[in-house]
Amino acid sequence: MALAPTAEYFPTEDFAAPKRWAFAKRLFRKKLATIAVVYLAIFYAAGILAPVVAPYDPNQQHVTVQDRRQGPSAEHFFGTDSLGRDLFSRVLYAARTTILFTVAVVLTGGIFLGLGLGLLAGYRGGWLDTAIMRTGEVLSGLPTLLLMLAISAAFRQRINDVSFWLQDNTFLGEDSRTFVKFTILVGATVPFAWIGTSRIVRSQVLAIRESSYITAAEMMGANTWRVLTRHVLPGVLPVFMVGLSGGMAGIAGAEVGLSYLGLGIDPPAASFGSLINDAGFVRTFQQYPHLLLASATPVVLFFYAWNLLGDALVDILEPRTTRR
Amino acid sequence: MGPGLLGYTIRRLLWAIPVIFAISIIVFYMMRLAPGDPVDTILGQRYDEERAAKLRAKYGYDQPIIEQYFTYMNNLFHGDLGVSTRHQDYSVKEVVLPKMWVSTQIGLFALLITFGLGIPVGIYAALARGTFLDPLIISSWLFLDAIPVFVLIPLCQWFFALKLGIVDLGYDGIYSTHMIMPIMILGLPGVAGVARFMRASVIGVLGEDYIRTARAKGLKERTVVISHISRNALLPMITIIGLSLPGITGGAIFLETLFGIPGIGQESLSAVLAPDFDVVLALVLFGSVLFVLANIVIDLAYAVIDPRIRLGAGRG
Repeated sequence: MALAPTAEYFPTEDFAAPKRWAFAKRLFRKKLATIAVVYLAIFYAAGILAPVVAPYDPNQQHVTVQDRRQGPSAEHFFGTDSLGRDLFSRVLYAARTTILFTVAVVLTGGIFLGLGLGLLAGYRGGWLDTAIMRTGEVLSGLPTLLLMLAISAAFRQRINDVSFWLQDNTFLGEDSRTFVKFTILVGATVPFAWIGTSRIVRSQVLAIRESSYITAAEMMGANTWRVLTRHVLPGVLPVFMVGLSGGMAGIAGAEVGLSYLGLGIDPPAASFGSLINDAGFVRTFQQYPHLLLASATPVVLFFYAWNLLGDALVDILEPRTTRR
Repeated sequence: MGPGLLGYTIRRLLWAIPVIFAISIIVFYMMRLAPGDPVDTILGQRYDEERAAKLRAKYGYDQPIIEQYFTYMNNLFHGDLGVSTRHQDYSVKEVVLPKMWVSTQIGLFALLITFGLGIPVGIYAALARGTFLDPLIISSWLFLDAIPVFVLIPLCQWFFALKLGIVDLGYDGIYSTHMIMPIMILGLPGVAGVARFMRASVIGVLGEDYIRTARAKGLKERTVVISHISRNALLPMITIIGLSLPGITGGAIFLETLFGIPGIGQESLSAVLAPDFDVVLALVLFGSVLFVLANIVIDLAYAVIDPRIRLGAGRG
C-alpha cells in the first residue's frame, strides 16, 4: 500500500504548465480519463448525498432469517447483509466515509504538510531542506502498514474515555465514537501521506526558484509568504494535483485496509473495509457472492479511476511522454 | 571505490540515525502508554492482581517508561532484542527470524514475477506508444493494481480452488503447488507500477541521439531495442528494485493471514494486537535499518554499473 507516488515520474526540467482550458481539453480527449472523471463525479455525488439518496437507514437491522443476506431485488438493489441491513444504503454511506477520510488526509497531509513543507524545503533550501527531505526519506522507509496498525491499535484503547467525554460535552452526540476512530485513522495515515507530495513539490520549486520573475518579485521587496503564494504556488499547483491524484487510491486504501482489519471505522458505521470483511471469505463468497461484489466493486472502481486520472495527468504534464 | 560517493551516501544516511532514534522513542512510548499491556493478554481470564504485579516486575513494566526505554536500548546494543510475551518468553530472534525467512522467500518469488513481467510489459508499451495498445496494456494492469488483495484473494480462491478445482488451499510449505496462487497474487498487482516506470524510462531513452545513431547505422530493430534501449532504460530501475527489497522481509499481512502462511506479516499483525512490545519494536527498527542499508547498496550499485557516475564525485 504505497501512499506516496514516486518522484521519479516527474522529471522537473521539462515541465510546462499548459493553459487551463487546453489542459481540460487534452484531458477529455482521453477516453479512459473522461470515464474516470465521470465515475468519480458519480461516486462523490452519491457519497455526499448519501442521506438523501439512500433508500433505507443503513443501520436498520432485520435479523429474521428471510431478511438476512437477501440477493439483489427491486427493494434492495444490492441485497441485504448478514444483519439484514440494506447493502445499497451501506455502500453509499461507506462512500461517504471514504470521501470524508480522503478529504481530511488531503487537507492535513497533502496540502498543509505535503505542499507546505515542499514549498518551504524547495524555497528556503539549506538545513531546513535537508531536515525535511531526510526525515521524509527515513519515514518512507519504515514499515508503513505495521506502524499504522500500531498507532491505531494503541490509540483505540483510549476510545472510550475520549468518546464519552465528547458525547457529553460537544454537539457530536451519538457520532462521537465514529469521530474519534476517524481522527485516529487520519492521525495514523498523515505521517506517511505527505512525503511523496512534498518531494514532487520541492523539485518543482527548485526549478521555479531560478526564474527571473521570482528574482524580480524578490527585488521589489516581496516577502517570503507573498513570493511563495503569488509567484511560486501557481507554477507548483499542476504538479501537485498530479501527485495528489496519483496518491489518492493509496490514501483511501489505507482506511479501507485498516477498517478491514477492524482497526479503522467499524460497524455500525459503514466503511468499505468492514463491508468487505463481512463478505470477503471464500466460503461466504461461495454462498453469497453479491455481498462481496456489491461492496468491493464501487471502491475498486474508485481506486482505478483515480489511478487512471493520475496516469492521464502525468501524460499531459510531462511533454516528453506525449510529444511524438 | 572512491571515497566521495560513498562518503556522500553515508553523510546523507547519517540523518537516518536521529530519525530512527526518534521513531524508536515514539513507538516505545506509544505502545507503553496505551492502557492494557501484555500481562493482561497473558493472564486473560485468570487475571489477579498479585500474579499481574509479579509478571510486570519480571518484564520491568513496573519501571518508569524512560527507564524501560534505556534498558531496552542497552540490551539492543548488546544484541538482545528482548522476549516475545506472546510466545512464552522465546527470544524475539527465535520467533521472528524463521518467520521472516518464510516471508522473504515468498516475497523474492513475487518480486521475480513483478519485475520479470513489469519490465518487458513497460518496454512493449513504450514501443507501442501512439497506438491503442499502449493505454490498453497499462490500464489493464492498473485495474489489477486497484483491487485490494483482500478482495482479490477470496475471488481467486473461489474461482481456482472451489470452481475449477485446479489448486489446493491451505499452507503446505513454501515449495509446494499450494504456493503458486499466493505468490501470483503477491506479485502480479505490482506489475502496473513497474511497467509504468519502465515505460517512462524507455520513452526518455528513445529521444536520445545514440538511438538515432544506432538505427541510422542500420542495426536490426531487435538489437536496438535490446542492447541500446533496454539496457539504458533499465538503469533507473535499480532504485525501484533496491527499494522494494527491504519491504519483503516485513511480509504481506493480508496475504499471509488469508492464506494461513506462517510468515512475519501474520506475526506482526498479532504482535500489534496482543500487544507484544518487543516484537513490534524489533520489526519497526529492523525495517528502517534495512531501508538505510538498501539505500547505500543502491548508490554503490550505480557507481559500479554506470560509468557516467564518476567515483569520487558527489551527486545531487
